Amino acid sequence: MTVLVGYLPTAEGEAAFTAAVDEAKRRGEDLLVVNSPRGGAPVSAEAADPERLAALTAEAGRSGVALRLRTTPHTGELADELLHVAAQESASVIVIGLRRRSPVGKLFLGSTAQRILLTADRPVLAVKP
Amino acid sequence: MSTEPVDERPPSAGPLSNLIAAAVVVILGGAAIAGSLALGAGSPSEPGPGTWPLIIGAVLVVLGLALAVRARDTGEAERFTRSGLLVAAAVASMIAFVAVIATIGFEIPTLLLAFVWLRFLGHESWRTSIITSVGIVVVFYALFVGALDVTIPHLF
Amino acid sequence: MSSVLDGFAVVLEPTNLLYCLVGVVIGMLIGVLPGLGPAATIAILLPITFGLEPVTAIIMLAGIFYGAQYGGTITSVLLRLPGEASSVVTVFDGHALTRQGRAGTALGIAAIGSFVGGTLAIIALTFVAPLVADFALDFGPPEYTALALLGILLVATISSGGRLRALTAAAIGLLLATVGRDDFTSAERFTLGNLNLADGLDFVPIAMGLFGLGEILYNLEERHRKVQAPATVANVWPSRADLRQSSGAIGRGSVLGFFLGILPGGGAVLASLAAYALEKRRSKHPERFGKGAIEGVAAPETANNAAATSSFIPLLSLGIPANATMAVIFGALLIQGVTPGPQLITENPELFWGVVNSMYIGNILLLIMSIPLVGLFVRILRVRATILAPITVLITLVGAYTVNNSVFDIGLVIAFGVIGYLMKKLGFDPGPMVLAFVLGSLLETSLRRSLLLFDGDPTGFFTRPISGVLLAALIAVALLPLAQPLLRRRTPLAAEKDRGEEEVGRGTPEARDPGPKEPQAKQAAAGTPDSGAPDPNTSEERNSAT
Repeated sequence: MTVLVGYLPTAEGEAAFTAAVDEAKRRGEDLLVVNSPRGGAPVSAEAADPERLAALTAEAGRSGVALRLRTTPHTGELADELLHVAAQESASVIVIGLRRRSPVGKLFLGSTAQRILLTADRPVLAVKP
Repeated sequence: MSTEPVDERPPSAGPLSNLIAAAVVVILGGAAIAGSLALGAGSPSEPGPGTWPLIIGAVLVVLGLALAVRARDTGEAERFTRSGLLVAAAVASMIAFVAVIATIGFEIPTLLLAFVWLRFLGHESWRTSIITSVGIVVVFYALFVGALDVTIPHLF
Repeated sequence: MSSVLDGFAVVLEPTNLLYCLVGVVIGMLIGVLPGLGPAATIAILLPITFGLEPVTAIIMLAGIFYGAQYGGTITSVLLRLPGEASSVVTVFDGHALTRQGRAGTALGIAAIGSFVGGTLAIIALTFVAPLVADFALDFGPPEYTALALLGILLVATISSGGRLRALTAAAIGLLLATVGRDDFTSAERFTLGNLNLADGLDFVPIAMGLFGLGEILYNLEERHRKVQAPATVANVWPSRADLRQSSGAIGRGSVLGFFLGILPGGGAVLASLAAYALEKRRSKHPERFGKGAIEGVAAPETANNAAATSSFIPLLSLGIPANATMAVIFGALLIQGVTPGPQLITENPELFWGVVNSMYIGNILLLIMSIPLVGLFVRILRVRATILAPITVLITLVGAYTVNNSVFDIGLVIAFGVIGYLMKKLGFDPGPMVLAFVLGSLLETSLRRSLLLFDGDPTGFFTRPISGVLLAALIAVALLPLAQPLLRRRTPLAAEKDRGEEEVGRGTPEARDPGPKEPQAKQAAAGTPDSGAPDPNTSEERNSAT
């Protein structure tokens, strides 16, 4: 069993990661960090740079949590990719960060987090920064 | 999706596709020879319309045979994989584009082609696909019909 | 000399300045983007140039070509992602500098080197091109036959994907050029009774299809690439010490690049490889190369620009394009009703000097843009290929129509797009095919004229001094493969190149992912067929040929 966290190099992503480390420590499970940028472009702001990923591994190590990284780019919806990985790894919980959004913005955009919350077949821990 | 993020290339082609390529070259050379003999091969002192194609045809046959002999040396050839279907679909969409552009103008075919490429070949979201394809048509209209005044068939 | 000055007057017309700017910006952008090379871009944009004056059109297209040399550097240095094949070697030291936090220095030196190399090459071109043209005025059909054959053979020799495949592609290109009415007898050849083919195949749809559409289709197949985090650049001004350290490399790179660019089949890629190898061999501390030696950025970047500039010499003064990109510009000139050749300088001086002098302006513009605006150009890398592809395809298809207002031409583009895709899949470089197609009618016409001249005696070619020398060179190039095993042992260049590639592999920060960029580099090489892949054989042959 493993704790899965969807990570982005943003404040929400950092919050989700910190919560996920705590959760993994509490459950005594290892941690899978998914940083999956949208594929197709050579550069994406969603991709974390190697130094940041190394820092994450070190941070998890300090809490005694084993960390695995997955940086495969995805096509289509990020939510589907995360749920797919969760099923594949039979994750015990999915940790995601929530963005503050106005009701109008939500109406128009339909967020990845909402989609995960509604369609996940396992517990989801949602964190606000 | 558990692959590591490397630059994936399709696997190298087998000798079979190289043999087919070689055969196509030989056939092309043969056709050129046959065609140029029909045109009149001429002679070195009086070259005719068929002289030059005859030489190229002969060269092609030789090169094709050499390719066949070295069919095992795949070089940079790639195997045709499932993602080749994407290319087939793309070509089909372009053929449809050509088939209708002369009769119904360029706007609708352009919109549809852009949308199909974005949504189904590129897996972009519905929102991105719709906005981008409409944007392309608007810009093209402004550019080709408005600014450049090109005689492209258009509806409006 | 007054015509040179008149050329400046041509350049300073506002329209020409504007299109020069447009050209270098487009060149810079496509240089940054991996995948689409300058040959493909120029081919796709050919229809847009029809409405322009010939000078303006060529100024813009030339700007795209040398602008791409600047742009390719940026991604090589910042992301280990060569945007153009001619910047592949820059990756070794350029990216090492980035990891040391000196990305700005690398980019600054590359921009300055490119500017110096480009400018020196233009000055040299100003003096050399008229001499070459003067010399070539005596050329008759036999010389042109030999020259065209030599050009095709040399391009085939350094092309990616192997000599045999390249020669096959070239032969098919020659065959395609015969379609249509025969110039001498008006007999219809290979037209299959189709009226659209009676005047022969048009160059534009072939270039647009083989280069433009073929490349788009090839990239449509999913090739999962690593997605990287955006890079940041600080302080683009190189220090005085950096400048002093790289000044020698810039000087040598300019000279080497200039000469390699003139050779038929030569060009920017070859020049960058050779310049890097030369610096490494000359250096007292060759071990610094690959670990962030500033000369390792300065030399290839200077040389590729110098070569890009000097490769205009054979085109504008002999009428023989030296590589695939020049073949497309050759096509553009023909469409504009200008036949490039030795007479161009005297008959059309404002075009010749206008284009040559526009390169000064273009290089200044590029220098100005590439130092402060690097961040802006890197942003285009965030645009996904899935969005760029339909836009490029539609520009290609609609553009193809506008050339002759003919739907048949769109069909031709698609057909040649499919052929281009299949060729790339099967390891054939479409570059030699386009080059041979362009040279095809010249070659056939001059061969037939020569045979009439010699009364059918082929030994006549060897009795004329110039064609004799050219044919001897031709035979030497053809026989090179036989001598290769001997050369392989002696030239250290190839070995150096191998080592260089290894360094890219080891230099990757992700240990699991050894050398993810090589395939990309190769793709880029295949994408810019004016060049040929950075393959060890290349440098060997060049070494012995020069």
